[in-house]
Amino acid sequence: MLQDLLNEQKCLFTPGVHTELRGQNNRNRRVVLLSGDVMANVRSDVSGVSARVYRGGVWGFSSMAEYTKEAAATVLKAASENADFMERHAGNGKPPLAPITGGQPFVMEDFHDPAQKVYVDFAREVDAYIAAHCPKLTSRKVLATEDSMEKLLKVSDGMDAHILSPRSYIYVFLTAETPAGAPVELFKAFGGSGTFDVNFTDPAALYDGIDKLYEQLMQKREGVYADAGEKTVILGGMMTGMLSHEAVGHTVEADLVLGGSVAAHNLNKQVASDLVTLTDFAHTAFGEPCPLPVFVDDEGTEAKDVTLIRNGILTGYMNSRESAQHFGMEPGGNARAWMFSDEPLIRMRNTAVHPGKDKLDDMIASIDDGYYLIDSGNGQADTTGEFMFGVTMGYEIKGGKLGKALLDTTISGVAFDMLKTVDMVSDSVFWCSSGFCGKKQPMPVGMGGPALRCRVKIGGR
Amino acid sequence: MDRITSIAKTILTEAKKLGADYAQCTVSESEKKEFNVDGGQFSLMRTLFNRNVVITVLKEQRKGTVQINRFEEEALKAAVTDAIAASDSGKPDPAWEFAEGPADESFEEGAPECDADRLFLRTKELLETIRERHPKILMEQMITEHDAAKTVFMSTSDVCYRTRSGCYSFGLMYSAHEGEKSTSFYGSDVTVKTLDRPVIECALIERELAAVEQQLDPMPLEGKFVGPAILAPMALGEIVIGTILGNFVSDMSLIDGVSIWKDKLGKEVADPAFSLSFRPLSEDVVIGSHYTGEGYRAEDFDLIRDGKLTSFFLSQYGANKIGGTRAGNQSGNIIVAPGVESLEQIISGIDRGILVMRFSGGQPAPSGEFSGVAKNSFLIENGKIAGALSETMISGCVPDMLMQIRGISSDLLKDGNVSIPYIAFDGLTISGK
Repeated sequence: MLQDLLNEQKCLFTPGVHTELRGQNNRNRRVVLLSGDVMANVRSDVSGVSARVYRGGVWGFSSMAEYTKEAAATVLKAASENADFMERHAGNGKPPLAPITGGQPFVMEDFHDPAQKVYVDFAREVDAYIAAHCPKLTSRKVLATEDSMEKLLKVSDGMDAHILSPRSYIYVFLTAETPAGAPVELFKAFGGSGTFDVNFTDPAALYDGIDKLYEQLMQKREGVYADAGEKTVILGGMMTGMLSHEAVGHTVEADLVLGGSVAAHNLNKQVASDLVTLTDFAHTAFGEPCPLPVFVDDEGTEAKDVTLIRNGILTGYMNSRESAQHFGMEPGGNARAWMFSDEPLIRMRNTAVHPGKDKLDDMIASIDDGYYLIDSGNGQADTTGEFMFGVTMGYEIKGGKLGKALLDTTISGVAFDMLKTVDMVSDSVFWCSSGFCGKKQPMPVGMGGPALRCRVKIGGR
Repeated sequence: MDRITSIAKTILTEAKKLGADYAQCTVSESEKKEFNVDGGQFSLMRTLFNRNVVITVLKEQRKGTVQINRFEEEALKAAVTDAIAASDSGKPDPAWEFAEGPADESFEEGAPECDADRLFLRTKELLETIRERHPKILMEQMITEHDAAKTVFMSTSDVCYRTRSGCYSFGLMYSAHEGEKSTSFYGSDVTVKTLDRPVIECALIERELAAVEQQLDPMPLEGKFVGPAILAPMALGEIVIGTILGNFVSDMSLIDGVSIWKDKLGKEVADPAFSLSFRPLSEDVVIGSHYTGEGYRAEDFDLIRDGKLTSFFLSQYGANKIGGTRAGNQSGNIIVAPGVESLEQIISGIDRGILVMRFSGGQPAPSGEFSGVAKNSFLIENGKIAGALSETMISGCVPDMLMQIRGISSDLLKDGNVSIPYIAFDGLTISGK
């Protein structure tokens, strides 16, 4: 745990100038088993302190790989000098940031740090199960990871905080061959918020999920290519989460709006079917804790839910304090930094479409010729709202029934066009949180939603 | 340099004391100065003082690695203890092998000292030039920076490399706008040793800005056809070179046996016009690594020469696992041999096809099959650019494409890290609405 060495350095803040001082430690634990061999066995701890100062509409930032009072004083001075340089040469005369509500310092409980052997032993047990129970594989890979952040934040106004964000996962990759000898692969992530020893107490708890993954892989190796073109599809909850994040979420990050995203011209306009409501949740969604809860951001703003689309109407953007002032909106706690040496950027937290009233079985039965797309390996979006997701697992739908599995394919569309085609929304929500969002910095995010029936373009062979 | 050399010696001494059979460490100190432009306006100046220590130990052929960014003796000793504990938890693997000395070399590269005022002025000049010459371009984000580092690599096998380096980098992310019309975003990057030239003259920046400005009125492609696609350097890297490295020639895919090129060494895998090399020591590379992560002196090498697979991209570990040969380096300094035709000449030979500047696609399958969106792309008809395209997908199979090359340009992207031409491939599936 970081000791609070920063509180007394607040006296170095220049009165009336917005200043942030942050101490941080990122720890990463990683074990990779490739067909039983330990390919990687790594522990990483990276810590330091940074300061950011706002003056004349521009920022100065500095960081040092040292968590001491002296380092804090050094980065405060350097950040202030950088802000002065920028104001002198490129200041734009914007007013100071509007004050925000302070509050009691936010403190989370301690978290612990399992020995490396815990990761290795668990991964080996999972690997041994796969080797014994999945006979038709050509290769297997098991990753055991934890990546956790601890932050100690002091701000000139807002909420001081001590933030702990642990998350840990087991990733299982299975590879087999098609009858023609072409390799096919599937992967699944287990885990979520919490340290490794809390999330993973018994390898047997993963075995049902591994069996299901193997079953899907065996179907996929006999799979068919999707027929290229625009189709009616059901996006599973995982795919809806990807859509929420990639296709809509990025375009309504206020910095990208200022950079010319499609959302700049669509505030308060219909951008989706009225069945669609989309929220970037802070820490609690639908009565349950979010996959990766955020209670306060790195500008000292208390985290609140931000409704992005309500009943099909684009209602808001995700903001930093600076962008909120520009747009006349309330900051919701979206400004987050990845490492001690990173400045806060506008990032999503837990972005999800709200559930509807339809049953998944009825949705499948409603399609005569289409696809049920379940899992995605990656996704990208454009500031125009044009998006692309890789589809790693899916099925044909023929005559209202699931047909053959699909080989890897891709779907694409334009978010605000495609969302208007949503005409059925399932009543249950699926979350995932194992990946990183890439912007200038990586950031853990949660994403999710119900199954959606809609029209998208699918790539074929 | 003396300080980090002393730290490296402390680490190795401690590792031997704790029973390591072999240990190596990389110790570095670095400083970054960075300017950010957001939404076309200067927004931020950063100064970062960083440190990094990576320690790898081998004990009874079990490997453990620890990374920290602290230099205090207590923290260094704790890190070595953690590395030994990590190795103790592992499983012996006889394939781990590292360079044997003696080797003791020093390297100095690029511009180790930063001229921050001049960097700011070049950044301002670039912004103003783009506003003047390309008024429809909105700079979503531009990051310009100078990175300087001192690094020591040292091992218990009497290998020591010292590097002092520095370079300036410019990263641009932009799109074109007119009223409510906007294009897809595009990125241009360049790394340079000096600030002698205006940045807009470097790499393909001017050409790429002009191309994006021409994409404001894209048209949908009707239907689907199989035909030629010219991949611009960025798209070529994403689709073809990324797939070769990720799926066919690297440690992971070869060790677990899923590479479809596992038996192709010495055989034809591409058109004879295609050669792909990795050359960190090339003059085209501003800062190339002089040694590998396992301590071997880096050498330039050809992965594919005149269409034949001449090497895998293996580490020493990977080579030992499959009974192969270690590649000359593990860099990302990709050099693809240019052709003799200009891009315009290649375009003039195509009746109907597309030019793809960027690709947004799913992870290619292990077989090399891929599909995705052709971004920032143009339709080619009757030997000419016929207009920008919207919502167009392409799919294909990389091994098949490599055998169906119809042209390689003499035009090259040289961005300080790579040298890559435009390449035209036959047989891609191109589909629109």
